[in-house]
Amino acid sequence: MTDPSITNVDVEREHSFDGITEFDNHLPNWWLWSFYLACIFSVFYWGAYHITGFAALPTEVYEADQAALAAQSTDADDETLRALLADPNYIASGKKIFDINCASCHRNDGGGMPGLGPNLTDKFWLHGGEPASIYTTVTKGVIEKGMVAWESQLGASKCRKATVYVMSLRNKNVANGREAQGEPYAGQ
Amino acid sequence: MNETTSLSKTRIQYDDGVVRGFVFWSIAWGLIGMLVGVLAALQLSSAYFNFDLPWLTFSRIRPLHTNAVIFALVGNMMFAGVYYSTQRLLKTRMASDLLSKIHLWGWQLIIVGAAITLPLGITQSKEYAELEWFLDIPVALVWVVFAWNFFWTIKRRNERNLYVAIWFYISTIITIAVLYIVNNLALPVTGTKSYGIFAGAQDALTQWWYGHNAVAFFLTTPILGIMYYFLPKAAGRPVYSYRLSIIHFWALVFIYIWAGPHHLLYTALPDWAQSLGMLFSLMLWAPSWGGMLNGLLTLRGAWHKVRTDPVLKFFVAGVTFYGMATFEGPLLSIKSVNALGHYTDWIIGHVHSGALGWNGFMAAGMFYWMVPRLFGTQLWSRTLADWHFWIGTFGILLYVVAMWVSGISQGLLWAEMEDGGLKYTNAAWAEMLEKSRIMYMMRTVGGALFVVGWVMMVVNLWKTMRSGNKVDGEADVVVMKPEPAAASTGKLVFGTPFVMTVLGLLIAYMFAGGGLWGGVMGFVLLVGFCVAVAVQVKRAAESKFRWHDVIERRPLAFTVLVVLAVVAGGVVELVPGIVLQKNVPLTTSGAYAVAPYTPLELEGRDIYVSEGCYVCHSQMIRPFREEKMRYGDPSRIEESMWDHPFQWGSKRTGPDLAREGLSGNNASWHYLHMIDPRSVRPKSNMPSYHWLADEDVYVDGTPDKIKAMKALGVPYDKARIAGAIVEYREQAAKIVADLAVDGHEIESDRKLVALIAYLMRLGKNELGAQVVDRR
Repeated sequence: MTDPSITNVDVEREHSFDGITEFDNHLPNWWLWSFYLACIFSVFYWGAYHITGFAALPTEVYEADQAALAAQSTDADDETLRALLADPNYIASGKKIFDINCASCHRNDGGGMPGLGPNLTDKFWLHGGEPASIYTTVTKGVIEKGMVAWESQLGASKCRKATVYVMSLRNKNVANGREAQGEPYAGQ
Repeated sequence: MNETTSLSKTRIQYDDGVVRGFVFWSIAWGLIGMLVGVLAALQLSSAYFNFDLPWLTFSRIRPLHTNAVIFALVGNMMFAGVYYSTQRLLKTRMASDLLSKIHLWGWQLIIVGAAITLPLGITQSKEYAELEWFLDIPVALVWVVFAWNFFWTIKRRNERNLYVAIWFYISTIITIAVLYIVNNLALPVTGTKSYGIFAGAQDALTQWWYGHNAVAFFLTTPILGIMYYFLPKAAGRPVYSYRLSIIHFWALVFIYIWAGPHHLLYTALPDWAQSLGMLFSLMLWAPSWGGMLNGLLTLRGAWHKVRTDPVLKFFVAGVTFYGMATFEGPLLSIKSVNALGHYTDWIIGHVHSGALGWNGFMAAGMFYWMVPRLFGTQLWSRTLADWHFWIGTFGILLYVVAMWVSGISQGLLWAEMEDGGLKYTNAAWAEMLEKSRIMYMMRTVGGALFVVGWVMMVVNLWKTMRSGNKVDGEADVVVMKPEPAAASTGKLVFGTPFVMTVLGLLIAYMFAGGGLWGGVMGFVLLVGFCVAVAVQVKRAAESKFRWHDVIERRPLAFTVLVVLAVVAGGVVELVPGIVLQKNVPLTTSGAYAVAPYTPLELEGRDIYVSEGCYVCHSQMIRPFREEKMRYGDPSRIEESMWDHPFQWGSKRTGPDLAREGLSGNNASWHYLHMIDPRSVRPKSNMPSYHWLADEDVYVDGTPDKIKAMKALGVPYDKARIAGAIVEYREQAAKIVADLAVDGHEIESDRKLVALIAYLMRLGKNELGAQVVDRR
């Protein structure tokens, strides 16, 4: 139990408080140094972040990251989306995304829920039935009607999967689906 | 009596009756407060454990749990320890039995008031400062009674020097008074409702300056004082190091105050304040461990007693948990660690290792030591106390480990990416929650085990009390002659430590505020200063701190120095916020870019506050890629500038709501979600707030609320106040109509309508290109 840094071990002070006495031992060196180092680190940290601007503050890091992110973007045109409709695995991965995120308003089978989401299994479309229009509705949302702009949370790739799955629901006309809304769309 | 030395000996009796009172109430309230905690924990794994009662719902009883544990359990325990040890360390009875009694019973009445009002939703929504204005006033008054009695007792002491425990008590009494009063400054609107005078970022900073230092000066310093009395007593060993006491006491008192902003890292708080919070937290680590070391090293030569004595077992474990929690604290204050841990269960685990491990065990140790002495008997059963210790320890470990696992998982899951998007969107929030559910159960078991241990203590102490009779301690004391103090004044003011501190603060100020050149100059000076301090510490170590010996004899000087040390950090951090309060972007026409709430939204906000939504939902988006994707743009400081009180929150059991109005969830969605959350989110653990669809807002009172807001500086004009009721009902009618389209019938004055209006407004602060940055 002896610390080599303790030179004057257990010198008792003369005073006693209600029977409690005190030694006056040296402060352990490792303890002192952990304190000094924290203070020294703090001085350098402050200098680096708040005086010289050498290191980037959280908002600066964030803005750089957002700029890098904006540089990469994907588009989805009608042709690409129709081509993807041929891939059952792609549709299956779209279904997973749909079940977690979309089903609470559009129902598990896409039949829609009163007051929330419209029926996706008929041929009527409120915001355009072309593949690219559906994609836009998914990514940008229709905020005033309660449709979430999913691109920010899901990212472009997952939105594309969800779109293709929604395209696959078209004209299935599930039982007890919501009433028809919007304009009919005849194509794929 | 001997005339020549003018020394008189006298026999005194201590007032131990008040100590017994505080012990009783600490144990009783503690049991209730912890049972409420278990009930709250159950609701996290299953929302049905509120038994469909508003006043048992998580968001209302979580504040009850925290307040009960802090102010009822630890508060009463602290007062018991302070009254017991202060009388003995100062060799005098408390100055006034009447003041002691007022303190004892006044405090219990306040607790009863809290236990009634918090479940009713009467709250200020500031964490650990939830009590409304009509309870804050009695708290302040009782605290003044305590302070008065305490300092009066010091004045009448028969012991020349103040022992280290008393230093800690002084710092507690002074600092808590300052913190509590400043943080609770408010403008009452009705008998049970007030608006705090601070708003937004300024309110956030004030609240966490308070919140952090309530932990420091309510849960830490008084308990360290208690440790310095009871631990050497129980161990029968001298305190390890007097100079360590001095160094860690002053370092703790000075540094603690600055660390508050570590609760607000990555928020809209200015960067300089965030960095101060982080750095002072790091510097706080060693001073905190100083207390642990002095406690543990005092046990050298007495470790064999730890094996057999339950009191020492609790003290050793308590001090060790203190060391663990005060290491974890600085760790969590490092920005990049905080990015992972903040808003998660990790923080809950962290506070419980402090509250259960440090406070709970120090309390138990003290009670096991004190109760047999207060009743002139022996502890009824050592075996039962040992069982309490082991079951309690196991409970804490289970609790803390569960929260680590759950917390770190949450931090990782929230940020997890897949295929260029979030793996779990907000609609899939409950998928992430599912993963914590087993940990929530484990935590409930851990907490319940701690309560089982506490019940064992209740039985043990009850049997102990029954086996003895109330005894008040007595002692022969030598009546002290007043000290001729004048001679030491010069020594005090021109003593090296005092001069060095003033100089150091000046240099630090230059360094921090003087631009690049000031920075370089300040840096050189600061390095020199640090070297000088190190030399001083070394030299002081040999000269046995004669300077400190002087102030120990002079309570007034000691108290003034404590005040200076404590106030320094508060002034530097809070004053710029108050002065520059409205220094936020404006539109080119000179108007504030953020519009105040409509009357309906304001009432909705008050419901949000009253129900305690902030307990599980933050309103502060951090500047991270994943948060931008999940919630939208990072929150800006001006967006909450009219928020009395701020609602930034500290925990995300549910998602952030800062931009809920932009999420796409419409009125019908909110209606369904509030009445039955699981109708739209099947796995959610949010309670149903269906009563909001049955209760009415008192709309006739709305103009008074707007008037109060105007008095606090929110830009409403007289016409707005006069037309508030009409405006309220117009906006409500629109929401009612929207809901009716989807088949949801509701009357326009219902609370739910106002809450929906507020939720749909969140984040809609239109800041166009015409905004001018005044900073």
